[in-house]
Amino acid sequence: MSETTVLAARGLAKTYAADGVPVRAVDEVDLTIEAGETVSVMGPSGCGKSTLLHLLGGLERPDAGEIVLGGRRVDGLSETAWAVLRRRTIGFVFQAFNLVDELTAVENVELPALLVGEASGRARRRALELMERLGVAERADHLPARLSGGEAQRIAVARALINDPVLILADEPTGNLDSRATGEMLRLFADLRGRSQSLLVVTHDARVASTADRLLTMRDGAIVGHTRLDAGSPSALLRDLAGLGGEY
Amino acid sequence: MRSVPVAVRLARRNLYRRPAQAALVLLTLTLATGVFGVGMAVRGSADAPWDRVWNATNGFHVSANYYRLGNLAGADLNLPKVRRTFAALAAAPGVRAVGGPWLDLDGRLDVGSHGGYEDLTAEVRDPGRSSVDQPLLTAGSWLASDSDGIVLEQGLASALHAHPGDQVRINGHRFTVRGAAMTVSQGRFPLSLPALIWVTPATGALMRRIGLTGDGLDMQLRLDNPDDAAAFAAAHRSIETSTGHMSLFLETWRQRRADSHSDIDILAGTLIAAGIVVGLLAVATAAVIVAGRMAAQTRQIGTLKAIGVTPRQVVAALLVEHLTLAGLATLLGLGAGRLIAPHLAAASLTILGDPQVPALTVRQVAIVAGVAVVVVLLSTVRPAIRGLRHTTLRSLTARARPPRRPARSARLAAALGMPLSGVLGLRSAWRRPSRLVTNAAGLTLAVALIVVASGLRSIPNRTAITPSGPGSALSGNAVGALYDQIQVIVRATAGLLVVLGIINAVIVASFAARDSARNHAMLRAIGATPRQTVVSLVVSQLGACVLAIVVGIPLGLAVWRLIDGGDLPTVSVPVTDLALVAIATALIFTAAVSLPAWRLAQRSVATALAYE
Repeated sequence: MSETTVLAARGLAKTYAADGVPVRAVDEVDLTIEAGETVSVMGPSGCGKSTLLHLLGGLERPDAGEIVLGGRRVDGLSETAWAVLRRRTIGFVFQAFNLVDELTAVENVELPALLVGEASGRARRRALELMERLGVAERADHLPARLSGGEAQRIAVARALINDPVLILADEPTGNLDSRATGEMLRLFADLRGRSQSLLVVTHDARVASTADRLLTMRDGAIVGHTRLDAGSPSALLRDLAGLGGEY
Repeated sequence: MRSVPVAVRLARRNLYRRPAQAALVLLTLTLATGVFGVGMAVRGSADAPWDRVWNATNGFHVSANYYRLGNLAGADLNLPKVRRTFAALAAAPGVRAVGGPWLDLDGRLDVGSHGGYEDLTAEVRDPGRSSVDQPLLTAGSWLASDSDGIVLEQGLASALHAHPGDQVRINGHRFTVRGAAMTVSQGRFPLSLPALIWVTPATGALMRRIGLTGDGLDMQLRLDNPDDAAAFAAAHRSIETSTGHMSLFLETWRQRRADSHSDIDILAGTLIAAGIVVGLLAVATAAVIVAGRMAAQTRQIGTLKAIGVTPRQVVAALLVEHLTLAGLATLLGLGAGRLIAPHLAAASLTILGDPQVPALTVRQVAIVAGVAVVVVLLSTVRPAIRGLRHTTLRSLTARARPPRRPARSARLAAALGMPLSGVLGLRSAWRRPSRLVTNAAGLTLAVALIVVASGLRSIPNRTAITPSGPGSALSGNAVGALYDQIQVIVRATAGLLVVLGIINAVIVASFAARDSARNHAMLRAIGATPRQTVVSLVVSQLGACVLAIVVGIPLGLAVWRLIDGGDLPTVSVPVTDLALVAIATALIFTAAVSLPAWRLAQRSVATALAYE
């Protein structure tokens, strides 16, 4: 683990009981993500991609293994400590956007800033700047129910970025988007590469995966493939995917 | 034609799959039917003992009474004229037997050593057995010609703790107690005044010499048919007179029986009123449960509709399920009535012996079942129909309804510097306005009744510091005892309402927690702590509590103003009591809704977010 390593996981494991039968959702996963690096994770449905993301973000507790974030061991943190850590360090983007229904778009974006104690006026200014940059400023006062899928996801990305976290965890960020919105999202991720923020994307979409520096492939909870990509090099990606089989 | 079997199957499955919800609905229904059932059972529990004494004493069918009004001791009674009137009445067709006329002497029973006394009537009787209204001895022996001993009415003997052989002082002279006896010709001391004793003519003469004066005359008649009593009295109304000083009137045995148990009537009336209030709150509780169930089952209802179950069958299933519970609650309520009523009625001051709950009538069963059915219909139909209005597709993609516009109150609160978790709670406070209002309505009733109970608490203090009127040294405390009983019932009802209010609050908060699960998981994913999400959910529910306090306290005070119009002493509920009610309500409510909020905070974020 180098000084530039943002996230490192060693021997990470998580087992669920499905109808009394233990199912190994994440099986002895080792992983590192460097500063500014974009890593995508692909694999068949149910292979443990989302569970891995949840473990790395502290949304679930691992059964075994360790997680080091920013040089600090974090896998034993309490719920509250994880929550406080996530405020500044980790940004989440979900397939279902997961905006808070009762808050307007701009209020959703500024929420993490308010959680870290930023003054409301400053939080609002920064939220609007970010929304302007992402092209959704005119939707600032709309509730999530009135936003299109693409708009909602850009709001979710803005919310993930507002505290300048060192790591963004994205779970199927284009899963609910049409092709045009997916294209916008790809451009957005490309922009992120210039911000020295690390990005871990779980996806079924080869176009999204192809924007990464590295591709991890998972099957039955374990990482079975590790491919370094020249960003935007679909040939290497497709070659890797061909060896996996299954549904993506 | 297949609607009923399908509805019954669906209802049975729902009862098996959601036993906790069914138990809650059953509990609330049973509380309402139970209080109502107890009230109805108490109401008739003094009749059988009264009938027993009436039969044992060969009690009157029609009673003729002539007595002095007001404090006019020594005034001319013109008894010869009254005796002639009574003689004519005794000879009227239909009269089978006559007791009396008996002279009533007015005197003072000395109580204690500080000059206290109780107004007393000494009824002068021949020592022999009367064919009508021969008092039923409960201790000692009846009057005898060779004795100047007296017989005390059983309620008086009980209040004095007097036994045969003891002595009592009347107008300063000592008399020996020969026995104690029950009668139905006058109500039981101390709620029926003045105190009654029986004396022989010789003792009566002695009493006249020591200052007792003729106070009235009464005659008891048995008719050929007791059911003719009302017609007989109506036919002889012409003898009834009432001047400013004297009154002569006829009374039937049924009238006397109905008037004999004022405390039981008040007790039963209070219980039935409490049953109605608890029933109203049960509507609120059941409505909250059903509405929450419908919201939770929207997807399931969508599935049922998608496979061909008609909306009518879905409503029918819900009705069958809850009507089954209503039937069970009716049985439990009636059973509770029969079990509890004798214990409550046993404390009565007017009952002649042990209480006996009368046999159930079809009318009683119908009334108690009606309470349960009305609660079910009021609480079930609206949410069921609302749930069914959703299209099948919308039902299948069910999620909590998103708000239509941003909450201004939350913006204002944020501008005023409210902590973020509180602002987030205000955001979702109006997400389910009908649930909030239902919840608040139930809690309002509880708060109002607690205010009423607070007022009742101060009544005995007031009666205690108010000196009893002259001539009621013993009976003065009886009213306080009656208030004590009513107070216990009102407090118990208030307690029931508080329990129901808390159940409401917990249910509503549980459903709110379920609605908010995804949002709260999201908040935690972006850095909100579990404690912040708990505060947020609690704040979102506090609106109902605030509404209940703001409306419930004035409502309780308004109820007191209504009561003040009656015989109760004027009462003002202290401001400190009202403040205590408000603070306690807020604290209990907060604790109640914190429970589901805390449970929500313990849930895994990943699990909550997985339901997409």
